[in-house]
Amino acid sequence: MARGLGQYIIIRALMIIPTILILYTLVFFFLRILPGNPVMAVVGTKNIPPEQLEHLMQMAGLDKPLYVQYFDYLKGVLHGDFGVTLAFPMGKPVWDYIAQRFPATLELALWAFTVSVLLGLLTGVIGATRKGTKTDSAMRVYSIIAYTLFIPWFGMMLQYLFGIHLHWLPTSGRLDPGVNLHTVTGLYVLDSIITGNWDALVSSVRHLILPALTLGIVLSGAYTRLVRNNMVDVLSQDFIRAYHARGVADRKVMWYALKNAFIPVVTLMGLQFAILLGGAVLTETTFSWPGMGTFLVDRIDYRDYNAIQGAVIFFAFFVGVISLIVDIVYALLDPRVKY
Amino acid sequence: MRRQYATLALVFLVLFSVVASGCVSSGGGGEEKPTTIVIGVTDKVTDLDPANAYDFYTWEVLNNVMEGLVKYKPGTLEIEPALAESWEVNEDSTVWTFHLRKDLKFADGTPLTAKDVVRSIERVMTIQGDPSWLVTDFVDKVEAKDDYTVVFYLKQPTAYFLALLTTPPYFPVHPDYAADQIQSDQTAGGAGPYKITKWVRDEELVLEANPNYYGEKPKTEKIIIKFYRDASTMRLALQNGEIDIAWRTLRPSDIDSLKKDENFNVIEVPGGYIRYICLNTKNDPTSNVKVRQALAAAVDRPEIVKKVFMGTMEPLYSLVPNGMWSHKDVFETAYGDGNIDKAKALLSEAGYSESNPLEIQLWYTPTHYGDTEADLAQMLKEQWEKTGMIKVTIKSAEWGTYTDYARNGQMQVYLLGWYPDYLDPDDYTTPFLKSGANKWAGTGYSNPTMDDLLSQAQRLSDQNERAKLYEQVQDILAQDVPYIPLIQGKLFVVTQKNVKGVTIGPDMIFRYSTLYKE
Repeated sequence: MARGLGQYIIIRALMIIPTILILYTLVFFFLRILPGNPVMAVVGTKNIPPEQLEHLMQMAGLDKPLYVQYFDYLKGVLHGDFGVTLAFPMGKPVWDYIAQRFPATLELALWAFTVSVLLGLLTGVIGATRKGTKTDSAMRVYSIIAYTLFIPWFGMMLQYLFGIHLHWLPTSGRLDPGVNLHTVTGLYVLDSIITGNWDALVSSVRHLILPALTLGIVLSGAYTRLVRNNMVDVLSQDFIRAYHARGVADRKVMWYALKNAFIPVVTLMGLQFAILLGGAVLTETTFSWPGMGTFLVDRIDYRDYNAIQGAVIFFAFFVGVISLIVDIVYALLDPRVKY
Repeated sequence: MRRQYATLALVFLVLFSVVASGCVSSGGGGEEKPTTIVIGVTDKVTDLDPANAYDFYTWEVLNNVMEGLVKYKPGTLEIEPALAESWEVNEDSTVWTFHLRKDLKFADGTPLTAKDVVRSIERVMTIQGDPSWLVTDFVDKVEAKDDYTVVFYLKQPTAYFLALLTTPPYFPVHPDYAADQIQSDQTAGGAGPYKITKWVRDEELVLEANPNYYGEKPKTEKIIIKFYRDASTMRLALQNGEIDIAWRTLRPSDIDSLKKDENFNVIEVPGGYIRYICLNTKNDPTSNVKVRQALAAAVDRPEIVKKVFMGTMEPLYSLVPNGMWSHKDVFETAYGDGNIDKAKALLSEAGYSESNPLEIQLWYTPTHYGDTEADLAQMLKEQWEKTGMIKVTIKSAEWGTYTDYARNGQMQVYLLGWYPDYLDPDDYTTPFLKSGANKWAGTGYSNPTMDDLLSQAQRLSDQNERAKLYEQVQDILAQDVPYIPLIQGKLFVVTQKNVKGVTIGPDMIFRYSTLYKE
């Protein structure tokens, strides 16, 4: 069994490599098939002499044959070098950006994830225990509405309500202007706790609430439905009846039922994490959240080949690792899983 | 059971409300000290190195943390001494000698001498970044005669050299800037009224008054710049009191509604930013001058200003902007606005009719010039199609592709915009109209008379004589029509009621040192 699991993990881990390679190749060639390039985007309408333009193309390495550019970049990535930005500002390591921007996305994703799971469980359990009642229908309607909400619109509604109307919460950014925070991990809430900076803690939590709620509520819909259906299924099983017959307290019975209904939810969590990162792009744009999403969108505007490739490879790697972890957890949780 | 869940939901809601409202009273935001002003922007600082920075907003930041030998007197086009207290120029304006102030220092107290000026200029020449042509096209060499004297030897007589000196590539930078490398995140700055104390790219830039500045101390000790991804988020932040000033690229509808809101001041400043249509003079059908003239005649600028820009722009009838010396409303005189009859007559002369309409493709780029660009293209299409003799197909491409198409002359009729490099009619004419210099625009326009007039104007030092030449240049422009000037941007600064001292000159640079809160 242990050997089987070990092999399973290795195979799943190795599967990440071709996935990334295919993705990199597609992104690399798609970017270059399209007309224009980062140098043109930077230079724009500025009146610079043609020799200068050539010099910039050389600096960006865009004068080399395509296959050389392809393998150069790939070689770099294998050495952990994601190249340098080709636009605004030119020549800054892409990795520096990823290191600065990714923690912001991760922090938002983790909070949104927590909100979505908690809300999903709460609404799902409520629906399941009131099966067939109006409350159950209400929870189902909630799940549909939440799932179909358009993030920028919903985010803006929350911004208006809690920002402009009630003045409770800031509408954008990660910290109040002028609040200083010594970053350790790049996750501001964690960093403020580590460094004992309570002003920064309050500020970063306040800034997180609206984007995390926006993304969390949208993603909670899927959990509501799944948790409800699983719970209904589990609650109708014999062992639950047996618990009731023995006079076990309702709360305890619900807890056992929830534990049993949880396994498929773990799989969904893994899938949702990838969707979460996708949703983060929209949420980040709505809330001017300086994460990977806004970075990627900005770089696409300027056709910054290296930055786009770097961000995509990093995202792919991250999502690959997360789904690997989920599969392992799932395998450990459910002994029926065959490797 | 039922009660339990209801309680749980209630607890969740209460908890959220407590965190939210509790935080408000803990004073995390909105309560800035009176000596701090927060400015929100949608632009980005591209490069803190003046050897490579080449966009308007970054130049604004550099202008607040650095200074050149001369500068514009706030709010005017008049050039006054800055780091140099006086200067002389030889008869044919090829040798310019500047005398620096004594005891100049960089923000950290390091003395600033003529050697630093020379080193900074040579650095720009070595690095060859985007804006380096502003130095290399003009300066042959630069020397430090002693600690306080800098001499520039120019390649050709350049009457407007002082205007060039006000641009960041000529600003002396701190010795921490490497001599031969671009340093995009270097915060050592120069000898301007402010110094950078915190820099988180795309998030926040904090400026504090430079204690070693030779001039008047800034009225506000600390300026914080917050970077926003889009105008709507920035507007929300302004309305929520998170920022004191919203600056640049607010949407016309935002400006319109903020003007009506008594909680804010909306300050309007004329800008030297222009928008125009490019016409490819090499390819059919726009190679026909009658076609270009017809298109110019059918354009109705006041309608564009009113319907697309809600009054946030003004009509422009020449490439030289309104208010600049030598400006002449040549397109208004030659064609008027929405002159359908003239357009029809010209089209007939070019061989088109209602049964044989002129077919053109109008290109625009969707995001680079803001959300209004698609509306602008649509409006132009409607105006041209009013003649009944033109059929317009609208096409778009994103910025990187668009500029590539333009440079390669692949588009027929397309929309572009221009922010000046230096404030002189030369910057609004030579790059557009001189053969070769206008390669970037892709219109393929070339006219020897025009080239000659532009070269003459560059060499003369008498402004009146130069003005006459630029007037002739504009007359020819209106006849040849390789470009149709459309609109000139106004700048809008929206502030909270208690913010005063907003100063933006014709150079469009926002100087933070005059800002203060009441």
